[in-house]
Amino acid sequence: MATIQDFSGYNPTWCPGCGDWGIGIAIKQALIQLGQSPSSVAAVFGIGCSGNMNDFLNAYAIHSLHGRAIPNAIGIKIANHKMPVIAIVGDGDCYGEGGNHLLHACRGNHDITVIVHDNGVYGLTTGQSAPTAQKGFKSKSTPAGILETPINPLALTITSGATFVAQSFAGDAIHTISMIKAGIEHKGFSVVNILQPCVTFNKVNTYQYYLQRVYKLDENYKKEDFKTAVEKSLEINEEKFPLGIIYQNKKLSYTDQLSQLKEGALIDKKRFTDFEKITKLFI
Amino acid sequence: MADFTWLIGGEAGFGIMTTGVVFSKIATRSGFYIFDYVEYPSLIRGGHNAYEVHVSDSPVSHLNPAIDILVCLNKETYEKHKSRLTPSSIVIFDKDEFEIKEDIKKIIIPFKKTLSELKGQPVMKNTIALGASIAILGGDIDQLIHIISEQFAKKGEEVINFNKQFVQAGFEAVKKNYPENILNNLVKRPSGEKLVLTGNDAFSLGSVIADARFYVAYPMTPSSTVLTDLAAWQEKVGMVVRHAEDEISVINTAIGSSFAGVRSAVGSSGGGFALMVESLSFAGITEIPIVVFIAQRPGPATGMPTWTEQGDLLFSVFSGHGEFPKIVLAPGDNEEMIELTAKAYNLADIYQMPVIVISDMYLSESHKSVEKSFVDSFISQYKINRGKLIGQDSSFAKATEDKQKYLRYKITEDGISERLIPGTPGHFYQANSYEHVEDGHTTEEAQPRIEQVDKRAKKWVTYLKNDFALPEVYGDIEKSDTVFVSWGSTKGIIMHAQKLLLDKNINSAFIHFNHIYPLDTDKITKLFDKQNKKYILVENNSWGQFGKLLKMETGFEFKEKLLRYDGRPITAEQIVNKLVK
Repeated sequence: MATIQDFSGYNPTWCPGCGDWGIGIAIKQALIQLGQSPSSVAAVFGIGCSGNMNDFLNAYAIHSLHGRAIPNAIGIKIANHKMPVIAIVGDGDCYGEGGNHLLHACRGNHDITVIVHDNGVYGLTTGQSAPTAQKGFKSKSTPAGILETPINPLALTITSGATFVAQSFAGDAIHTISMIKAGIEHKGFSVVNILQPCVTFNKVNTYQYYLQRVYKLDENYKKEDFKTAVEKSLEINEEKFPLGIIYQNKKLSYTDQLSQLKEGALIDKKRFTDFEKITKLFI
Repeated sequence: MADFTWLIGGEAGFGIMTTGVVFSKIATRSGFYIFDYVEYPSLIRGGHNAYEVHVSDSPVSHLNPAIDILVCLNKETYEKHKSRLTPSSIVIFDKDEFEIKEDIKKIIIPFKKTLSELKGQPVMKNTIALGASIAILGGDIDQLIHIISEQFAKKGEEVINFNKQFVQAGFEAVKKNYPENILNNLVKRPSGEKLVLTGNDAFSLGSVIADARFYVAYPMTPSSTVLTDLAAWQEKVGMVVRHAEDEISVINTAIGSSFAGVRSAVGSSGGGFALMVESLSFAGITEIPIVVFIAQRPGPATGMPTWTEQGDLLFSVFSGHGEFPKIVLAPGDNEEMIELTAKAYNLADIYQMPVIVISDMYLSESHKSVEKSFVDSFISQYKINRGKLIGQDSSFAKATEDKQKYLRYKITEDGISERLIPGTPGHFYQANSYEHVEDGHTTEEAQPRIEQVDKRAKKWVTYLKNDFALPEVYGDIEKSDTVFVSWGSTKGIIMHAQKLLLDKNINSAFIHFNHIYPLDTDKITKLFDKQNKKYILVENNSWGQFGKLLKMETGFEFKEKLLRYDGRPITAEQIVNKLVK
């Protein structure tokens, strides 16, 4: 069985106290607990402080362009649908630059797990506001306070067709591990939105801020119920942050619906050679 | 010698396109060669469509100036095309729909009356017109009935029989009323079996031959039929075709699947490709193979979507930020499209870089007859070469004790490093969009940066040595005063112009490039050092883009250019007129 050591690449360069440390360890732990090894998993990283995990986490990996991790991950999955594929992205990366890809990945129910570092700012470019920043948030790019209202990642993904939507808090590693595990185990498109304080550039959404506002869903919560899930996700708008699996449902994934992949992965198929079947169409 | 042009025109949205292909197939099944061309506006209803087929008993890939048989499904067809009629041309139309005053050979077919008597839908006017066309050309009605039966096979005997009536009505109307006008242009002749392919069909077929398993696209004229071809075949050939949300997703999905080891391609026109170029640079630095198909149309921006131009050559050659190698190929006709498409997949794998196959509306949407024997023999001699790809069953992959030694971006003599299929036990690596050291980890250090830039550039040197092909020269440069220089889809047109010139006792040579970039400067320069030759650059754009590229690479400057940029293909007659005034 793989160990934390096997999954560990370079030493992280995140700021001391950054929520990314907790998420980095949680991802490794989740993979170990699922019996995975760096050779059995594909990981795609976006660009940002979160994406810098590329050098700290060992796996078959792509360090993608800003915003494009999701389509890369979908491509890997279609080529080899037996391999678990995770996309490790930031809020600007996934809800801003790559927003269109997220919507359509939800629709396609592609069997990948998107782990979003949601800290409300662009850390790597020194603190401009992100799509999840609360209205009025002051930053270098929005000195008078941001005019736009924040994206609601939970409501957005649930209503777009994602079949697994969870939220966790980087300050609670054990819970984050369980959410990432559940996301990877889920067959279909899964999103884990991780609330993550940026200690350097976000003085509003701090550990203290979240500790006062997060709460765990209780055992009676009906995560299969779409309307309940949408309602629950709207609590974010009131600065209440439910933690847990907000929504989960069973639907065929994209690759499940491709008859070409019934007998095995695309990468493993034998070459098609019955060319008469095609040439005769043109005679 | 049979050599004629048949043109059918009518209102957009009423089956002109399908009718044209049926006519082309009847001609090839009767033993003739064809080249066809469509003109249509960028809308689904209300405009005017025209479909012309050049039929000959020898191979053709150009259009004729004159129309021999003009089939007018409405008045507009006649008005738009009457300038191309000659005294021997025949016009098929319905006098109940409009009158023709000019003194020409008229074949009056009662489209309107037949439709109402047989209770046909407007689209069946085409079927009557086909029947009449086959009759006037001396063709075999059974060929047409056979194709109609194939078309409606799924709909059953009743539908087939219903449609047959319209074929017969058109056919009989000519036989009965115009026996003296019947020609013998389509009399079945012995000839090998032929495929009727567009350039897009040829790209699709080439992709299947090359074992491409993943094609991703977003519809954009004139590239869309690659998407629809491959989508239709995917279950049959075991391929996956994804119509993604936008072109950025298109190329990134393909980059993901190619990383995972599957031969992958994307396609679009210039505008869609513009959205892909950041990711092209990403494929460049991560050294992930990808084949990009571009079917050009006149730009800028939305431009003229359904017309033709070679305006994206320099854009393709220089696409993507930063310095990274890529290969650009531009097939001259459908045979070259099949060959170069299949080659493109090998090159992408061998050199681990983007390979662009560039076409244009004229090549992408025109059908050309291709000998089936050519396709069959190409298939049997084509070998898949995946370059330095290491599969899971290789000895390297099994030697797990060496796992620290796998270096994805290892510095090598030829610039190419081994590429490991993800999932191989005992190993892992990252494909990194940041500059990286040999094992893939990010670096900002000077020395590894220089090494990786040089390594990537070296792949071009290796390509020029092993796989670059010099342009084909048609005719004899030594014996000719005039040397035409062009690239891509103008090939058939210029070769026809050479024939017309030869009829006037003018020798000419033609240098046709299909390996567009990178160019081997030393070898290319030798083709342009002849004194006292008139080199004429021929391109379907306004800048003479290939001329600029050639000047950049060789210093050679064209004094004479023939450039066309009105959205229409260059014609052989234009070229002849440039020389013979």
